[in-house]
Amino acid sequence: MKKHILTIDDEADIRELLREVLTIKGHRVSTAANAEQARKIVVEDPPQLIILDLQIEEGDGFVLIEEIKRLSSNIPILLLTGAVFDRDLVRDAIEKKVTRYLDKTASLSTIVAEIERMLVDAGAP
Amino acid sequence: MKENIEKRVVSLFLLMLAILVYVAWTSVQNIKENIKDNDWVNHTHDVIIHAEDILSYLHAGDAALRTYLITGDERDKQGYRVAYSTMKERLDEAEALTRSDEDEQSSHLSLLILQNLIGARIDVARATVKAREDGGLEGVRQQFGAHPDIESINSIERSVNHLVEVARGLLRDRDKRQHTQALTARMTVDTGLAVDFVLLALVLWLIRDDVAARRKAAQAMQEANAQLESKVKARTVEVVVANESLRNENLEQRWSHEALGHQLRYNQLIINSIAELVIVISRALNVSRINPAVVQQTGWEQKELISQSIERVLQFPPDPTGTASQNPLTLAMRDGRQIQDRPAQFLARSGKIMAVRYSLFPMHDQDKIVGGVLTVRVTEGAQSQSQS
Repeated sequence: MKKHILTIDDEADIRELLREVLTIKGHRVSTAANAEQARKIVVEDPPQLIILDLQIEEGDGFVLIEEIKRLSSNIPILLLTGAVFDRDLVRDAIEKKVTRYLDKTASLSTIVAEIERMLVDAGAP
Repeated sequence: MKENIEKRVVSLFLLMLAILVYVAWTSVQNIKENIKDNDWVNHTHDVIIHAEDILSYLHAGDAALRTYLITGDERDKQGYRVAYSTMKERLDEAEALTRSDEDEQSSHLSLLILQNLIGARIDVARATVKAREDGGLEGVRQQFGAHPDIESINSIERSVNHLVEVARGLLRDRDKRQHTQALTARMTVDTGLAVDFVLLALVLWLIRDDVAARRKAAQAMQEANAQLESKVKARTVEVVVANESLRNENLEQRWSHEALGHQLRYNQLIINSIAELVIVISRALNVSRINPAVVQQTGWEQKELISQSIERVLQFPPDPTGTASQNPLTLAMRDGRQIQDRPAQFLARSGKIMAVRYSLFPMHDQDKIVGGVLTVRVTEGAQSQSQS
């Protein structure tokens, strides 16, 4: 069974690139550009993993994280965002809100490996 | 190689066919000769039978004639005439039988001689019969006295026997010829068949050799195909791996490009959102970058400030102690020291002087000062000053 992954990002190129890579890896990928689209997918077709950027259209990434947790607390969330702060300093604070945090300057192979590891940890089939 | 063997096999089959045709033709010819010889033998036997009949009827006629001469009985006279008449018929038939055959010209000649002898004998018989009829036994005696005719019957017998001997001799010759012909035909057939069998064996050997060669070639081709298939599979795997690697590399590059672009846009967004004037300067105090707030608050266009010295628009109050003779930015940049919240004046594009407070943050790159970020906050309204 394919694993369902939701990517939420305001940049279409980033969303489509993640969709392409994860589809090649055998996953089913949904994409959302804003909070409303993301909420709808989480309710109607809950994913096994969410990849989220703090910058989203018409919304706030931190607020959306809280909403997703209220809707489905057991979905692991990978925060994938631009490095605007010192990663080491803020890691603990950020990872209290999400399962994992990576900045977008990490290599794609690192990001994909992290996604696969999170899916395994989440016990997804 | 393959064509050579095919040519050889076809040639051998053609040779076998030619031999078989020759054998068949020889057999047919032999049969025809046999039929012809049989006809000739039957014909010769017929001549012999006719000759022997001539002699038999001669003796029968002669006996009946003698009886008639003694008895004078008409029935005996009739018997002699019938026998002689039949003898004459047989003689004519025998002559006709030998007339056209080249091999029997000798017999034909004998028969012609015999005709004369028999003709003379018939004439003597007729004369004797007439003497009996006219003069009775005395007349016969006188006739025999005048024409004894002792040798004519012996001559006829010798002639007939000679004729029979000649015919039998011809039969023997023909028999020998037939035998020789049969032997030759048999030898031809036997030899032809033997040669055909040898050729057939040769053809079979060639075919077997060819089949073995073809099997070997097919096996070699199969092995070559298997090797090629294996190489193609290995190459395909290599190509697939290379393609996958290339695709991953391509995706990685696209991701890197997107991520850096994102980062750049985000940083730009942060700087552009700042309401204070942000001016990036080089170590030599030349302007390299400004934020939109500079354009909005001073009226200077980006192209008018870039590469120009900051001293052109930012003026510092004189040092009250009078000890510092150099621009404070130059000293701070040299020492790598920050300047925070100091007063200064900023020359707007309109020529007006604005009271500002500025801070300088030198930029370090691997322990080297590569420039600085100047933030300027306008504190008072602008005052007029004529531009120089």
